[in-house]
Amino acid sequence: MASVWTVAKQELLTTLRDRRTLTSTILVPLIMIPLFTVGLPLLFGTLFGGQAQTRQTVGVVGTLPPALRSQLTHDSEEEKGVRLIAVTDPTAAVRNEAVDAALKVQSALPSQAGTSGELQLFYKVGNLKAESGAASKVRSAVAAYNKALVGKKLAELNLSPALLTPIALSTVDASNAAEASSGQLAFIIPLFLLQFILAGATATATDSTAGERERGTLEALLATPAPRSTLLMGKLLATTLTALIAAGFSVLGLSLSAPIALLITPAGQSTAQSATQQAFGGSLALGLGGLGAVLITAASAALLISAVLLTLSLFARSVKEAQTYIAPLTLLIILPATLLQFADFLKTTAVLYAAPLIGSMLVILDTVKGALSGPHLLLSLGGNVLLAAVLTLIASRLFGREGVAFKK
Amino acid sequence: MLKINQLGKAYGDFRALRSVTLEARSGEVFGLLGANGAGKTTLLRTLATLLSPTSGSASVNGFDIVRQSRQVRANIGLVSGGMGLHDRLTGRETLRYFASLYGLSGARTEERIETLTRQLDLSDLLDIRAGGFSTGMKQKIVVARALIHDPPVLLLDEAASGLDVLARRTLLDLVAALRSQERLIVYSTHVMSEVEELCDRLAVISGGEVLKVGTVNELVQDSGERNLERAFFQLLSEQKAAGQAVTRG
Repeated sequence: MASVWTVAKQELLTTLRDRRTLTSTILVPLIMIPLFTVGLPLLFGTLFGGQAQTRQTVGVVGTLPPALRSQLTHDSEEEKGVRLIAVTDPTAAVRNEAVDAALKVQSALPSQAGTSGELQLFYKVGNLKAESGAASKVRSAVAAYNKALVGKKLAELNLSPALLTPIALSTVDASNAAEASSGQLAFIIPLFLLQFILAGATATATDSTAGERERGTLEALLATPAPRSTLLMGKLLATTLTALIAAGFSVLGLSLSAPIALLITPAGQSTAQSATQQAFGGSLALGLGGLGAVLITAASAALLISAVLLTLSLFARSVKEAQTYIAPLTLLIILPATLLQFADFLKTTAVLYAAPLIGSMLVILDTVKGALSGPHLLLSLGGNVLLAAVLTLIASRLFGREGVAFKK
Repeated sequence: MLKINQLGKAYGDFRALRSVTLEARSGEVFGLLGANGAGKTTLLRTLATLLSPTSGSASVNGFDIVRQSRQVRANIGLVSGGMGLHDRLTGRETLRYFASLYGLSGARTEERIETLTRQLDLSDLLDIRAGGFSTGMKQKIVVARALIHDPPVLLLDEAASGLDVLARRTLLDLVAALRSQERLIVYSTHVMSEVEELCDRLAVISGGEVLKVGTVNELVQDSGERNLERAFFQLLSEQKAAGQAVTRG
């Protein structure tokens, strides 16, 4: 055991002396996770919120009723109204960006309920800025105008506005606190965690195998009395520890997200900011149990990913060649993690939880949503450890080959 | 100290070693002289237990290379031309790492580092990372690493190949300095002058078989040639002629 630690200690020392590896293992997860979970939502929130406070220009063809003009140009506390200008060709005006949107009166618009008119809205459909800015404000103003006319007519007829809505439907969020705070884009969290584990482990795995062979240090190592199994276990331990360090900093980055969000987001933040941040899981708050579950899951995933990386690297004669073998592994994490956004549609069976790495992603997602069950956690740990053991056996066979130390 | 008996190594139909039989004793520098691909490296790697023989047997300091491979590795130090160092470790860290793998205690390790520092003039290299070493400096630490456990047998495989003239001179001087009554040094090379300068006895090896064993003088005298290089080529010619005769027969 002492020799296993001797080898692991040396591998860790050389890894930690490499600035690039240090950056990818510690700095990147520590910066990237809060940036994505807090920074991006804030950025999007600011952009969407910014549209509310910007006065867009809307072109008009024809005559708008004065009350509708007033509805469109009126400033409220939440948002500014639009500026109306006359245009002749609404499509051209929108296309050449003379206006953010345009209105064309197709038939005379009513100034009281009872008759109907047609108004066309021109804007670049699919353009988020136009959608969340001018188009949204025009829709709101027209809806408010319609409601006012109908309300006035109902009042004249001594009828209640409630006549139009016999049933009032309201929504109550039934998700628990963790689910509510995890956000619809919480699937990004397992994706990040596993990606950083992979990135953190890669340098040690490739350097301790293909790298040792490439620079001619493996031959000297194998000429010592230390058994090859001991040397391999030392390398696996070092790779797993590096991956765990990356995982640890990822979890730290994750747990820092909530305090950072609170720190930089004032209490009276706009609803747009809040909603976007919510979608990304920016207000995520894990309890001690949740953090523990994420850490143990990350540890088993780190062990498995390390075993995969070592096995692949043992086929390579140089670090560059090893990196070529390893590159597609990223897809093995990204693809299932991306599918997790549709996890609500998935029937998550025991088999899925036992599937290596996929089970880990589900468990992390469940933990983030506060819906983790013990048996599911055990299944995911078992799946990872079992496959890691099989891969370690294969790596052991590869490391026992005669030619493993030599470049040719 | 080193006994090799009809040792063979084959890769499929290709026979890299053909029934090699040799003996070498402590206190001598024993040369293995042969062209590239003659089988020198295969022989040394087999003795170092990095390769398994397919026939025959060999023992190092009384330990069988197949049955007692760990003891064999504990009794040898191996230096080959392609060996490198961990760039991000200092000379001292490299030596301590390998001392630990050889099972040396902390006190014994420091004692050996001190001895090797004196013997090989390492004082300037111990606390610098190997990434900043010149080729000659690297080779000194590579040799020190192979000697950290004070092995009775040192195997040097084309250790001077690729070295510039200064580094090569440093290495040859090191080997000369490492001669002792207690140690056997096996020095493999294709450079005649290195053999003439260093080796007490040598084996000429070609096509995986030993053609002749003796001192430099014995080989030259037996061949009737003027020098070792001519004697070497005569042995190769004789081997080629014998091979052709067998083919014709």
